[in-house]
Amino acid sequence: MMNSGFDRRDFLKVLGWGGATVALSGCGNGSVEDGKETVVSYVEAKDYVIPSISVYFNSTCAQCDAGCSITGRIREGRVLKLEGNPDSAINRGKTCGLGQAGVQHHYNPDRVREPLLRTGDKGEAISWDKAYALIAEKLNGVQGEEIAFLSGGVSGHLKVLLGNYLESLGSRNHYVYEAIAPAVLRAANQKSYGAEMPRFSINKAKVVLSFGADFLGSWISPVHFSQQYAQFRKGVDGQRGVLVQVESKMTLTGANADRWLPVRPGTEGILALGIINALGTASGDIAAAVKDYDKQRVSKDTGVSAEQIDKIAALLKARTPSLVLVGGAAEGYAHGSQNAAAINLLNHVLGNVGKTIGVPVSVPFPQMSPATGNTAALQALNNSLAAGKYKVLFSYAANPVFTAPTVMKFKDNLAKVGFKVVFAHYLDETALQADLVLPLDSALEDWGTQVPEYLAEGAQINIQQPLMEKLHENTRGMGDILLALVKQRRADAYKDFDDYYAYLRNALLQNKDALGGSGVDDDYFWNDTLSKGIVKLAGATGNLSGTASAVGLTLPPPAAADTQYPLQLIPSINASLRDGRHTNQPWLQESPDPLTTIVWDSWVEIHPKKAAELGIVEGDIVEVTGKNGSIKVQAYLFPGIHPDAISIPLGRGHEAMGRYAKGYGVNPFQILDAVFDKETGELAMHETRVKVSTTGQRVIVIKDEGPVGGKQMGRKIAVRVPSNKIDLSKEI
Amino acid sequence: MKDIREDIAWAKINQDVLKSLENPRKLFWIILFVAIAMVGVAVGCEIYQYQVGLGVGNFDNPHMWGLYIATFIFWIGMSHSGTLLSAILHLMHADWRKPIYRFAEAMTTFSLMTAGLFVAVHLGRVWQIYYALPYPNGRQVWPNFQSPLLWDAMAIFTYLSSSILFLYVGMIPDLAICRDNMRDCWRKKFYTVLSLGWEGTDRQWRNFRVTYLTIACFLIPLAVSVHSIVASDFAMSQQPGWHITSFPPYFVAGALYSGCAAIITLFIILRYVFKFEEYMTLPILKKTVRLTFAIAMVWTYLNFIEYASVWYGHNQVAKDLLIQKATGPYAPFWWAMNFLGSVVPFIMFFKRFQTNIPVLMVVSLLLNLGMWLERWMIVAPTFSHGYYPWTWDHSQWPSFVQWGIVFGSFGWFTMLFMVFCKVFPSVSMYEVKEMVYHRSRETKKLGAVEGAH
Amino acid sequence: MSVSTLLENWSDYRHLHPVDDVPHNPYKWAMSIDLDACSGCNACSVACYAENNLPVVGREKFAHGQAMHWMRIERYWDEDISAPGGRDFPDQGAQFLPMMCQQCEAAPCETVCPVGATNHTPDGINSQIYNRCIGSRYCSANCPYKVRYFNWYDYPTTDNVWPAEMNQQLNPDVTVRGKGVMEKCTFCIQRVTVAKNNAKTQGRLVRDGDVQTACQQACPTSAISFGNLVDPESKVYKQWKAQHVELDKEAQTKDKEEGGSDLRGYRILEELRPYPSVMYLERVRETAI
Repeated sequence: MMNSGFDRRDFLKVLGWGGATVALSGCGNGSVEDGKETVVSYVEAKDYVIPSISVYFNSTCAQCDAGCSITGRIREGRVLKLEGNPDSAINRGKTCGLGQAGVQHHYNPDRVREPLLRTGDKGEAISWDKAYALIAEKLNGVQGEEIAFLSGGVSGHLKVLLGNYLESLGSRNHYVYEAIAPAVLRAANQKSYGAEMPRFSINKAKVVLSFGADFLGSWISPVHFSQQYAQFRKGVDGQRGVLVQVESKMTLTGANADRWLPVRPGTEGILALGIINALGTASGDIAAAVKDYDKQRVSKDTGVSAEQIDKIAALLKARTPSLVLVGGAAEGYAHGSQNAAAINLLNHVLGNVGKTIGVPVSVPFPQMSPATGNTAALQALNNSLAAGKYKVLFSYAANPVFTAPTVMKFKDNLAKVGFKVVFAHYLDETALQADLVLPLDSALEDWGTQVPEYLAEGAQINIQQPLMEKLHENTRGMGDILLALVKQRRADAYKDFDDYYAYLRNALLQNKDALGGSGVDDDYFWNDTLSKGIVKLAGATGNLSGTASAVGLTLPPPAAADTQYPLQLIPSINASLRDGRHTNQPWLQESPDPLTTIVWDSWVEIHPKKAAELGIVEGDIVEVTGKNGSIKVQAYLFPGIHPDAISIPLGRGHEAMGRYAKGYGVNPFQILDAVFDKETGELAMHETRVKVSTTGQRVIVIKDEGPVGGKQMGRKIAVRVPSNKIDLSKEI
Repeated sequence: MKDIREDIAWAKINQDVLKSLENPRKLFWIILFVAIAMVGVAVGCEIYQYQVGLGVGNFDNPHMWGLYIATFIFWIGMSHSGTLLSAILHLMHADWRKPIYRFAEAMTTFSLMTAGLFVAVHLGRVWQIYYALPYPNGRQVWPNFQSPLLWDAMAIFTYLSSSILFLYVGMIPDLAICRDNMRDCWRKKFYTVLSLGWEGTDRQWRNFRVTYLTIACFLIPLAVSVHSIVASDFAMSQQPGWHITSFPPYFVAGALYSGCAAIITLFIILRYVFKFEEYMTLPILKKTVRLTFAIAMVWTYLNFIEYASVWYGHNQVAKDLLIQKATGPYAPFWWAMNFLGSVVPFIMFFKRFQTNIPVLMVVSLLLNLGMWLERWMIVAPTFSHGYYPWTWDHSQWPSFVQWGIVFGSFGWFTMLFMVFCKVFPSVSMYEVKEMVYHRSRETKKLGAVEGAH
Repeated sequence: MSVSTLLENWSDYRHLHPVDDVPHNPYKWAMSIDLDACSGCNACSVACYAENNLPVVGREKFAHGQAMHWMRIERYWDEDISAPGGRDFPDQGAQFLPMMCQQCEAAPCETVCPVGATNHTPDGINSQIYNRCIGSRYCSANCPYKVRYFNWYDYPTTDNVWPAEMNQQLNPDVTVRGKGVMEKCTFCIQRVTVAKNNAKTQGRLVRDGDVQTACQQACPTSAISFGNLVDPESKVYKQWKAQHVELDKEAQTKDKEEGGSDLRGYRILEELRPYPSVMYLERVRETAI
């Protein structure tokens, strides 16, 4: 039930940062928190707060950077549940589990509530005024080049304001860091297609060949791709789409594949060239490049049989268009760029460019386009920190103390900075190293605009608005904080804006015409925008201009066996936990990993044959040792992994960040080797070699599956029917 | 061999039995104290469980039921002893039951009381146990008459009240004897009230006989139905390992079995403690032992039928479960149960052991252990290995809370029984006199002394 | 408390397996889940936690098997994977199955509750009445799917389940259960009730799409369809009809055909005759590769 008849301006204004939060109550209750024991929180509620009637507001999910639009259900002034906004072309009314947990990010009991001045292990709560004064004091006399700002990916007006602030400081040191980012892919796509992130149309493909791209789980925009996948399965004219997944460790998408091929780690590019060779349709320099990649050689190198290579080639030929995707598995090597380039070549050879690989749309406001994060930024920052370059460091939406490999000594280098300010929701590992921690409003309490990296059908700007009055008095929105900080330097330029809300409103209204609001008055446009939650635009479209060229493509042979460290460590990305920023949301901790069904703990996946060789059974605590450290973790026998590889999920192993995160599991980020992709400088996450040894301890693995681990024991429970026996066009 | 000497004077019978009602010696108090301590353990565990929740018993999905239900069935089973001895053998004119049926009936009553406690302890919301009763309520809600658990509730109530009635009515002449032979003290007042003015007139005896017989006739089908209903808790479900039509007779046979074994145990104890050798004679013991053996064979047969019907049946799931019982985590208990229930009773087949008191004591305890294991093996493996493999759970075992309450229930029973033995005559004096009288008539000796009863 | 009340209501709330063409009127809520579309992402499961006030039991209790997920995602491998002589790798993927209360028409759980805490509503949902439940757990003992979950602890008063502020997320439309009661998927009956009330206010019946269960609403691949099985306009009706799956059969006619059926719809453990209201569409095993 959408209530759109009342005057929302007052409500929204009140909910802003400058608003009188007390105004919503009459006598006694100062905030929702105070009134929580009563059925109706406010003694004098506003007239739209009707007990038992839900109100729905649109906003944008901030749990990952896909930028799905959400509709929050609010009752008696509290947001209860998030649903997808049906109007968004990205998620069309759907959410993933991670998105659902957004309310737990908001209501988390371990949120930082006060600005904290930290000395050693202690934090002292101070006022915002003091905090701002301290920042001004610490910046006094510091040169622009001695100031750095570390953030995760940012877009929209926050990016603009952040840029303005840095400019006011005279600093160009903005490091945009994401621990898990398809940065190698972006670079490869730019070369292959002329666009960092072209539009992928899984729903138009008849065959999808994915080299480790977990598009149903955590790759780029999983909710969007899941919907495309559903259409893909129903197929065009009743012919069901076929998914082939090639990777060394089974991802969620791999589990849904019609053919899952375990490939020797790092040899994905070789396989791609082998398939081009088997297709026999390439010409020019591509043909020359694949000349030596005949089936026998490729089969030997990759472990995929010649028969399978032929089958794949035959399938790709018979059913067009197809779509070939590159995922983190291919990217995670020192030759990751080469892998990606080789795989992208397949799309050219198959003629998919222009069909299932299309021109991306972009928002016609380049200043709002996302600054995407990558791991090369971490390396660059680390080097600068090691050299002692910075006196002041700001950090927002990043947790490098958790996600940086220990070998980089990031924590030690960080200590060299004189004054560290971390803007945080929780006291995570990085916040604990800060000198000043400034508490943020949650994503459900804040204002903003967001432009996702991957735009689906058309261009859109996502609007973020508070879904309820903020929970804690002394948190602030990041935009408000930046505005206050930039006002310290440029008071005049920003004097018209009391708060970020005003800034945003003004910014959007100034471009009203370009945003589709020509001919309506300002207030109407603003309310309508907030109400919809999305601004849809006729986006600027580019051309796909990349070259189908194999010039310069050199793939190294498969890595030689290392007797000291015989196994390859593949840190896996779980759709819910990702780089660990959501580990303190208990629903996600308790949500079983789809493939292993393990909860609340980490594990190392070992192929049963390899485990038998090493004398490991399920539950054994094993020590995984690499060149740069070792961790102890419980073993889980998993058939969906190459025998030469083992896999430990990322995201757990926190030492801070609250009661639901601290002390659960281990952190494989720590033991990664400092190997980087040669072309982009990205951390090659899969290049760590390890050995595994038993410790003599054994535990019972906490998982949802029963003791027979996924067998049906002859009972007809989950059934599969061969495709040649059914006719999908008969169905609804 | 004669079951009882024919020349025991009636006054001596009175004297011997009433002696058991004397103030107890120190050992009695020690054992009573231990029993109460055991109850204390159970109470402590229950308080903990009541306050925190059933999770402390280490129940889970799928182990929804555990030792409480198993022990509940065990105690219900134990209760069939009294009915068997009192009622069934009475109808069969088996006189040898006369010296021993009193304590057997007491055992029935107290077993039922103990079983009832387990129903309460097992519930998630004990404080609302009265929902199971058809009491007038504002929502006009009746309990669910389709549910075997509800039949249980009704059957057990009926059985308990009938057993108490049967025990009491049967005791009235004896209570009169007690009244007449006690000095003035609380006991005399107590027995005076309870004996309802019994004078032993001919009219009263006639009425008594008819009443006793009526209740006996009523009680026998009740006993059979009670345990059949308890069996229906399982048989009416389609879970593998439970959905077996032979369960009602199987359970009744098991009940009689454990009841008889318990009778042997208590027989030996009372005989020794109260020096009832004249009354609880070795020939009677022998007959009891042979009866127990016969029932053991019946039980073994029905047990075997259960396995056989699963084996040649069409339900693969039930077959899988049977194999699982024999080879999975419950295997040691399952094999122990089969051994104790089917192999150990053969000791009772051999004449030389049929009156060997130490051996019989051990054997009877082992048989009851086997029967307790049987109940557990009916309840637990089905939960751990049912229709749905994803929900199988082979690794959760009952916690100390469950064991504590089970342990305490034996203390509770012991406590009740010990108090009974000191307040009420545990041998039926008037029936023993009848027995002696009949013997003397048979041997044509006139050893019985007439006169005051 | 009259016997006549008992007899009158007997057939109303004690529903035997359906014998009519129309099992309920005007609503019979049912579901169909396409296993070929289900990607195993667990979004439905988390959405259910959010909507129905499910407690997070934490690591220790989960280890003891006391989890509370009304909707659980099961992951199956092909039977020969890692078996002697079988395949080393699951080269045809895994199989995911969302399993929740099947709302059986002849539910084994309904008959055995001693106090009648679980019954069948007139619109075909297996109801669980928390305040009547005394916690005997016979219903779960009888459930072949084991989709009933018991409150082994008092989660509202247990530390860190709903600490301050997180308790504000609780959905006021759904009871927060204390210890000792059984719970399970209710087909989001609170949403169904709201939809029915709204429809009634407007003088009509609930139309297809008016109400979505939480799991259905979240599912990114739209694998779950939920609706009124007796409404010929509803998607669920059309799907069941197209798949030739009938509610009141223990073995579908199509399965008796020579060589098996070419339709994908089936119900789990149908042969036990609970007449479940959830139809699954078999996942397709691709023969092209």
